[in-house]
Order: sequence, then structure tokens, then C-alpha cells
Amino acid sequence: MEVKTKGLKLADILTTIVIAIVFGIIYKLWAPLYSAVGAVGFHLDQLIYGMWFIASSLAYLLIRKPGVALLAEIAASSGELIMGSQWGLEVLIYGVVQGLFAELVFAAFRYRRFDVFVVSLGAVGATIGSLIMDFYKGYIEALAPWNMALFLLARFIGAILISGVLAVSLAKALEKTGVTQMWRPASKDDYDALNR
Amino acid sequence: MNWDIQRRETWLYEANPSLKLIVLVMLFFAVLFIHNPNVLINVSLALFVLFCFGTGYPANVLFWLFLPFFLVFVSTASSMMMFGEGTTTWFRWGLIHVTAESFWRGVHIGFRALALGLLGLIFSLTTRPVPLFYSLMQQLRLKPKYAYSFLAAVRLLPIMLEEFQAIRYALTVRGVPNKGVLSKMKRYAIPLLSQSIRRAQRIAVAMEAKQFSGSGRRTFYYEIGFGKYDIWLVALFAALMFAAYYVGVHYPYISISDVR
Repeated sequence: MEVKTKGLKLADILTTIVIAIVFGIIYKLWAPLYSAVGAVGFHLDQLIYGMWFIASSLAYLLIRKPGVALLAEIAASSGELIMGSQWGLEVLIYGVVQGLFAELVFAAFRYRRFDVFVVSLGAVGATIGSLIMDFYKGYIEALAPWNMALFLLARFIGAILISGVLAVSLAKALEKTGVTQMWRPASKDDYDALNR
Repeated sequence: MNWDIQRRETWLYEANPSLKLIVLVMLFFAVLFIHNPNVLINVSLALFVLFCFGTGYPANVLFWLFLPFFLVFVSTASSMMMFGEGTTTWFRWGLIHVTAESFWRGVHIGFRALALGLLGLIFSLTTRPVPLFYSLMQQLRLKPKYAYSFLAAVRLLPIMLEEFQAIRYALTVRGVPNKGVLSKMKRYAIPLLSQSIRRAQRIAVAMEAKQFSGSGRRTFYYEIGFGKYDIWLVALFAALMFAAYYVGVHYPYISISDVR
């Protein structure tokens, strides 16, 4: 029989990566949309930037294990890279940094809380990761202050709405389909029912 | 990625994928630390030439692949040009404020976005996924359970596309109204994701039964090693960077040597 390995099991890894690859396609399709919205100006594009963090949020909500947020973000961004992202290699490195920051937030809560608040904080973490990369890449500090404030505000709000609120509602809808039964065969409610 | 496009496999396809990844990631960071626009323009041009003649794709395909990169170039550069800070004003109209500093900074980050994009495109165009993951396992000691999971997930993509079509037809046949971005997204995302998760779990059981999750020593169907093309690869990029730097410093196009 298989010996107990440390870390994630193959089933967790495969499921995380499959979810991530689905979002890799969305990430890839999101890029032209982002560019199109960017043409409108006034940093409206930053409101939809948060979509690029959703893989880590959703994987964390569904699989609920240490490391899946990071793995999901890396897998989604490498999927995006393999499909020929318009930002090229950059997406992979952004993905690693964003996933790492989201993971750190989830680790700070010891992987025990799975509500909108924690996932939104994870999205904020990923946003900070993306801003660190932007800082090195694009001299964003050189934007005029009012412009900079608008830029940051739009990106944080977008991240919380998409990778926080939307991710939680997606996860809830997926729980109803019963696909998460494999990881959590019995919930706390079931045990409470036994004690009644 | 394998598109059904006629292409000639150049020697870049034969280089070790892990080595190629490492070289290109190193170049990525090198590009981040170039602050001289002359050097950066040279790097971008050199990568563009490599993209045109080194990837083995026909010209019309290259054109369509390059178009989004050009858009990124324009959008990145223009937003910095119009709204950046600076002291030497060239043009002012409402909130738009073009200065000499912001203009050159805009040009610089535009070319930077272009260079970074080309690096990634050159990698994804000349690397096939299967040798890539075998090489990652053999040269970079990526755990097989991760590598084979990636490969299995890539194989699921066509099935997902088929399912996407099926859902679309089903919704059309049932006359589901085609409105509301959020509800439309859920109508597609929930069945696609739940089916993918179920399939992933079944495949994982099969893969675990076949010891793909084992941590012992394993042999590989494809042995990926190193060859003369790897030396070419390193030499090519070293020469490219050196030439770009030398020409940029000694024969500049513009007199600015640092945009910060």
C-alpha cells in the first residue's frame, strides 16, 4: 500500500491544477479585455485586474490545504504562459509572487478560516504582490499622486470584489454540486447531528 | 503549445527546456534592471529578430501573435507618457500632462513590456509541454506528482472545450436568456468546474493506483539531457545581451542614459 507522503496528495495536486488550468484560459482571455478596458482610461482596467488572483482564492476555498493557493496561482499563470500570454514570461513570475502573498495571508490564519473576510484579505495580499512586481517593472511611483491613488484604489477594490466576494460565491455554488465531498466527507453539522 | 499550424522546428526547439527556462528567467530579471533606454531598445530589437527568424512560424502567424504585444507596448507607453510626472512640460491639456521625463520613461517601459513579452513568447513558441515537464523532473528535480498532474491537466483541456460547447448548445436549445454577465458566468463556470473536479478526482485515483504519486526513484520514458544546442543557446543570449549593451552605450539613439 502507499506510504503516507508528506505534503499534498496527488488527488489534491491534480484537482488544484485542473481548476487552475481552467482559470489559466480565463486569465488568457482576460488579457485582451483588460487592454480594451484600459483604452477607456482612468484606470478602469484596474477594477478587473483582480480576476488574475481568483485561482488561488478558489483553490484555497475548495481544497482547504496549505500550499494549494500558491500552487493554483503558479499553475494558472504557467497555463497562461503556455497559451502565449501577451505579457510573456512576466505572468509566471507575477503568478509566483501573487500566489506567495495570498498563501502567506491564508497561513497567517492557519488555514482554518474560509470566509469572505479571509479570502478578501488573501486577494489584498495578492494585490500587494502584484504591486511589488509593478513597482520594479513599470516605475509606477512616477505616476502623479492623484493618478496613483486612483490606480491603487481601483486595483484593491477590484481584487476584493472578484477574488474575494465572487470566489466565495463560486465556491458555495460548487459545494452545492457535491464535488467537495471527497475532501470533506462529513461536515461539522453532521457530527452535531449525531450529538443531538 | 501545439496549435495546428505549419511550422519549421528550429534548433531552439532542441535546446534543453529547463535550461531555456532558466536562461530566459535570468534575462527577464536582467531586463528589469536596464535603465538605459538605448540598451533596452537594442535588446527589444534583437529579441524581435529572434522571434521573427528563430521560432520557425510563418509570417502571417507571427503577425497575429505579435499584435497583442504591440497593443501592450502602446498602452503601457502612452499611459506613462500622458499622466506621468516631470518638470520639462511639452504639452498640457486638462489632466493630460506630457513632459520630457514622462515621455522617455513611457518609451522605456513600453520597450520593457515588449522585451519581456517577447521573451515569454519565444519560450512558449519553441517549447513543447511534454519535454518541458520531463526535463523539469529530470534536471530541476520537480516532484513527479506535480509534473504528471500538470501533464494530465493539459490533456483535459480539449475535453473541457468540448464541454463548453455542449453547455452552450444546451443553453441555446432550452432557450435560456443570454443576459446578465454574472449569471451567465455562473451558468458556464459551475458545470465546467464541477465536471473537471470530478474528472480530476477519478484520474487521481487511477494515477495513485499506478504509483504516479510515489516518491521513490523512477525511470522516464523520455530521457532529456544536454547537447550542442544548449551551448548555442547560452552563447546566443550572452552575445545578444553584450552586443545590445555595447551598441547602446557607445552608439546611443537618444542622449538619455538613465530614465529614473
